[in-house]
Amino acid sequence: MMIELCDSADIGEGEIIRVDVPGCPAIAIARHEGALYVFPDRCPHADESLSEGWLEDGRVVCGVHFAEFELGSGAVHNPPVGCPNLSFFKCEDRDGKVFATLTGGPEHV
Amino acid sequence: MCDGGCKGGARGRPNMAPVYPKAASYPEYAQLVNRENAQVDRRLFVDEAIYQAELQQIFARSWLFLAHESQIPSPGDFIRTSMGEDDVIVVRQRDGSVKAFLNSCPHRGNRVCMVDAGTKARGFICNYHGWSFGIDGGLRGTDGKVYEKDQAFEKAQIGLTPVAQIDSYKGLIFGTFDPAAPSLLDFFGPFTFYLDIMLDNDEGGTEFIGGAIKSEIDCNWKFPAENFVGDILHAFWTHQSGAQAILGAGVDLGKRYDELAFQASVYGHGIETNLDKVGNTRTLGYPELVDYVYDLSEKASARLGDLRARAIGAISSCTVFPNFSFLPGQNTFRVWHPRGPGKIELVVWTLVNKNAPEHIKEAYRKGVMMTFSPGGVFEMDDGENWEYSTRVNQGFVTRQQPLHYALGLESTDLERELPGHIHKGSMNDANQRLFYTRWAEFMEHDNWTDLQNGDTAPPQKSVKAAE
Repeated sequence: MMIELCDSADIGEGEIIRVDVPGCPAIAIARHEGALYVFPDRCPHADESLSEGWLEDGRVVCGVHFAEFELGSGAVHNPPVGCPNLSFFKCEDRDGKVFATLTGGPEHV
Repeated sequence: MCDGGCKGGARGRPNMAPVYPKAASYPEYAQLVNRENAQVDRRLFVDEAIYQAELQQIFARSWLFLAHESQIPSPGDFIRTSMGEDDVIVVRQRDGSVKAFLNSCPHRGNRVCMVDAGTKARGFICNYHGWSFGIDGGLRGTDGKVYEKDQAFEKAQIGLTPVAQIDSYKGLIFGTFDPAAPSLLDFFGPFTFYLDIMLDNDEGGTEFIGGAIKSEIDCNWKFPAENFVGDILHAFWTHQSGAQAILGAGVDLGKRYDELAFQASVYGHGIETNLDKVGNTRTLGYPELVDYVYDLSEKASARLGDLRARAIGAISSCTVFPNFSFLPGQNTFRVWHPRGPGKIELVVWTLVNKNAPEHIKEAYRKGVMMTFSPGGVFEMDDGENWEYSTRVNQGFVTRQQPLHYALGLESTDLERELPGHIHKGSMNDANQRLFYTRWAEFMEHDNWTDLQNGDTAPPQKSVKAAE
């Protein structure tokens, strides 16, 4: 089931924001070239917040150890040892609201 | 006795705020500069306790040269340098400002940056436990899986120790570890009048080109600093062979020496110049540089006035107290980083006007390498002298013998309308005496009010002249 996270206008181009959903670990939402991406606000390497990182060339960069994850595929680049890929949640922009499926999603949530 | 609740020996939580050292007062060291007799005690060049006092009194308080703006143009660009013996990272911030930090992790102290310079850094990660710092110095995170679960861990107050103040003057970035230090402009005083000879002779400003040349010399840091502050005298003997090789003749200070040459000093900073237009530039060995400086000098007279326009390429040298020096005309800029009383690490850059043609910049780069690098004609001449000037003082009896700094005792020039303490003739120990007087002021005074109002402070008439 998709649940509403926030207004899509809250996320500017090139930004990552953090959204707290009751009962769920923190969620990060990013916008790149207009498209929205929803993923856990937790780096799969060392659990640090990804919303405190930034977007660069279509990748989420973790601000702590600088792992880079491709938006969409989640493929990791420049990984610290043992860092797996990032998983993304299915999401949609419905009439200016961001909706995402948080259950049955990635293993790291 | 611990009843089992002693928290592993801790009674409270860590205070990770920066600690900036307090200055003290060492009148017994200040007296080693004998102003009555124009003599300097040789213990200044070998004594470990005096050296430690220098790190505390001088290097932890003075504004020290860090970098040229052109070395770190974009956010995340950084260079690693030293302030005294403290390892420092200088980083361009996302808002365009510059910050500098101690290159040491607050956890176990390891270096967080191992390389000399880089571009677009995202941050600095300590190799030891993975503590990660942003380019703003703040602790971004650790290993995440351990500290994040420790409820008592206070990440927000931890960061790399910032250099207390950073400022720049016409492209040159300086920093001080002393939050109470006066502004950079106050530290220079009216000496900026002379810095502008090299930093503001062209509307386009300046840049460093071609990286840095690093070397070590087994000498006390003050010998090269005093040499550049006002010792052209040595050139006639030390550099005679090098000058003959390049110029086909010995050192020549110009026909109008008696009329033009002078030394100027403010707060221990000093310049000696002969106003002979291109004497220094000629020694680089490129006729096109001489032509360039002649043209530049004519254009710059509108900007700087005739006197300073004549100084752009002249036989001259300059030190900004304590350890930043340069040679107008030869365009070599350098820092003499102290590494104990008997050793320095010398870092040398080449400064050019941004607007200079490419072939001129390239000629300066090569010219500096051939003259003022470890294999350069003039640097080699100097290094050995400074090494033996330092090393002989290991002799117990030798170091009881005071050194002579008495050339030009009657050369004060009260007539010339120039900023600072002016002395006639460039061949003079006046600037060196004032350099050591400034050294003594730093040893003596624990506060900036006294430091800025001692004998090295600019005479009032000169301050007016500079305005």
